[in-house]
Amino acid sequence: MDTKTEATRLNMNTKQKVKYKKNSKKKMNWITDHLFLFPTILFFLIFILYPILYNIMLSFKKMDVSNFMTGGVWAGLANYQAIFSDPLLYKALLNSFIFTFACIVIEFIIGFALALLFRQKFPGVNFMRGLILVVWMLPSVVVGVLYKWIMAGDSGVLNFVLTQVGLIEENILWVSSEQFALIAVTAANIWHGIPFYMIILLGGLSTLPRDLYEAAKIDGANGWKSFLKITLPLMKPTVLVLLMLGLINSFKVFDLIYVMTGGGPLDATTVIPYYAYKLSFLQFNFGEGGAVSGIMLILVIILAIVYLKLMQKEEAN
Amino acid sequence: MVNTNNRRTILYMVLGILATCIMMFPVYWMFITSIKPLNEIFSSPPIFFPNDPTFKPYIEIFQGEKSMLLYMKNSFIIGSGSMLLTLLLSAPAAYALARKKITGLVIIVGVLITSQMFPTIIMATPLYIIYQKIGLTDTFLGLIIANTTVLLPFAIILLRPFFLRLPKGLEEAALIDGCNKFTTFFKVILPLTRTGLITVGTFTFLMAWNELLFALTLSNDNSMRPVTVGIFNYMGEYQSVWNNLMAASFVSSLPIVIAFIFLQKYIVDGLTTGATKG
Repeated sequence: MDTKTEATRLNMNTKQKVKYKKNSKKKMNWITDHLFLFPTILFFLIFILYPILYNIMLSFKKMDVSNFMTGGVWAGLANYQAIFSDPLLYKALLNSFIFTFACIVIEFIIGFALALLFRQKFPGVNFMRGLILVVWMLPSVVVGVLYKWIMAGDSGVLNFVLTQVGLIEENILWVSSEQFALIAVTAANIWHGIPFYMIILLGGLSTLPRDLYEAAKIDGANGWKSFLKITLPLMKPTVLVLLMLGLINSFKVFDLIYVMTGGGPLDATTVIPYYAYKLSFLQFNFGEGGAVSGIMLILVIILAIVYLKLMQKEEAN
Repeated sequence: MVNTNNRRTILYMVLGILATCIMMFPVYWMFITSIKPLNEIFSSPPIFFPNDPTFKPYIEIFQGEKSMLLYMKNSFIIGSGSMLLTLLLSAPAAYALARKKITGLVIIVGVLITSQMFPTIIMATPLYIIYQKIGLTDTFLGLIIANTTVLLPFAIILLRPFFLRLPKGLEEAALIDGCNKFTTFFKVILPLTRTGLITVGTFTFLMAWNELLFALTLSNDNSMRPVTVGIFNYMGEYQSVWNNLMAASFVSSLPIVIAFIFLQKYIVDGLTTGATKG
C-alpha cells in the first residue's frame, strides 16, 4: 500500500516535471521565434507609429515656426474647421480624383494592350520588355524635368509633333496654363506608370494555362471572344490587386507635380499630398498640414481595409 | 500554316518595335537634348538627330560647387544606407512572418500593408519636427531612417514569399545537424533566399535613390542633399539651359540603367512576386 502510493507520487512528479519542462520549452520557443521580429517592431514603434501619432496630435494644435520647438498650443478642432472652410481643399480633392482616375484607367488600358502584345513570342521581345521597364524605374524628378522640356510652349517637341499631325493649330502652354496643366502632369504620370501595369499583367498572363486557349480555339472561339471569356475572368485576382496598387500609387504622387508645376498655375495641379506639403512646408502651418495628413490617413486606412478584404476573398476562392 | 505563323510573328514584331519606340522616345529625347549645343536646342523645327554632338553639358554639370559628383555621392550613401538598414530589419522579420507561428500574424501583415500605402508627406511633417528636436536634420542617418520608414513595410511584404517558397522541414533538418534557430537563419535560410535579398536590395536602393520629399524637407545643407534635390536646384539655376538639365537627368538615371543591364531578372521577378503572391 505504502509503496504503491509512493510510486504514484513519484510518477506524478516526473509527469509534472515533464509537463513543466515542455511548457518552459514552449515559452522559450515562442520567445526566440518572436525575437526575429523584435528589431522591426522596435523600429516601427519609434519611427513609424510615433510620428503618425505625433501627426494626429499635431492636427489638434496651433503650431507654426514661432512655437514648434516648444510644442505649439492646443487648438481643438480649429485646424479641421480651417481646412474644411478652405476652398483649396475641395479643389485639391477634385484634382486628386481626376488625376487618379485618369491615370488608373488609361494606364490600365495601355498596360494591358502592351502586356498582350509582349506576351507573344517574337525576336527581341525580352529586350523590348526590359527597355520599357526602364521608364518605370526613372526617378519622378527626372520624369518631371523631362516632360517640362518636352511640353515646353515654344520649343517643346510635343507641340511640334501635334502641329505636324494637325491635331493643334497653335502651340499650347501645357505646363504653364491653368487649363492644360492638370492634363500635362497626368500625361507625364501615365507614361511613367504604364510599364508597371504592363509587367504585373504580364506576370498574371503567364500563369494562365495555355491549353485552355487551344480548347477554345477548337470550339471556334476567336481572339476577342477568348479574351473576354477566358483571359479577363482568370485575370481577375491580378487585376484587382493591380488596380488597388495603382489607385494608391497615383493618389500618392507628389514629386512629379512638385517638379513640373509646383501645384500651379493658380492651384490647377494641387492634389491632396501637395496641399498638405504646401500648408506644412511653404506656409509653415504644421497644424493645418497635420489635419490634411489626418484626412489622408483615414482615406488610406479605408482603402487598406477594402484591399485586405479583397485579398481575403481571393485567397478564399 | 507555317506562312500565317510567320506573318503573325512579323506583325507582332513590327507592333512591338513601334510600341517600344513610342514609349522610349522621351528617353531618347532626353539623351539627344543632352548632347546638343545650345543653339540647336531651340531651333525650329526641332532637330531629331544632332548635327554637332557635344559633351560640354556633361563636363559643365560636374564642375563647380554644385557638382553632380557631390549629389551622386550623397545619393549613393543614402541609397546604400537605406538598403542595408532595410535588409537588416526586414530579412529576419519576413522570415519569422513566413515560417514561424507568430501571434497576431494577420494583424501584423495588415498593418504592414496599410503603412505601405501612406503618402510620404504623412511621415515627412512629423519627422521634420521630431528631427529638429533631436538633431537629426541635415544628417545622412536622418535621411536613411526616413527612407527606411517607407521601405521597410514594402521590403517585408516583398521578401515574405521568398521564405514561404523554401521546402518544409528545412529548419528541423538544420536542428538535427546541430544548428540553433539563429545559426539556422544565418547559415541555412539566408543563403537559400539570395535571389529575394538581391531583388529587395535592388528595389530599396533604387527607391531611395529616386526619393525627393524627405531629402527636400529633412535636409537644408546642400552638401548633404541627394541627386533628386540637385536636379531640382539645377532647374532654378539653369532655367532653360535644357542640355545641361537633360545631361544631369541622364547621369542621375545611370544607376537605373546599370540595374537594368545586370539585375533585370531580379526586378521583374520581384515585381510579379510582390504583386500577385503578396
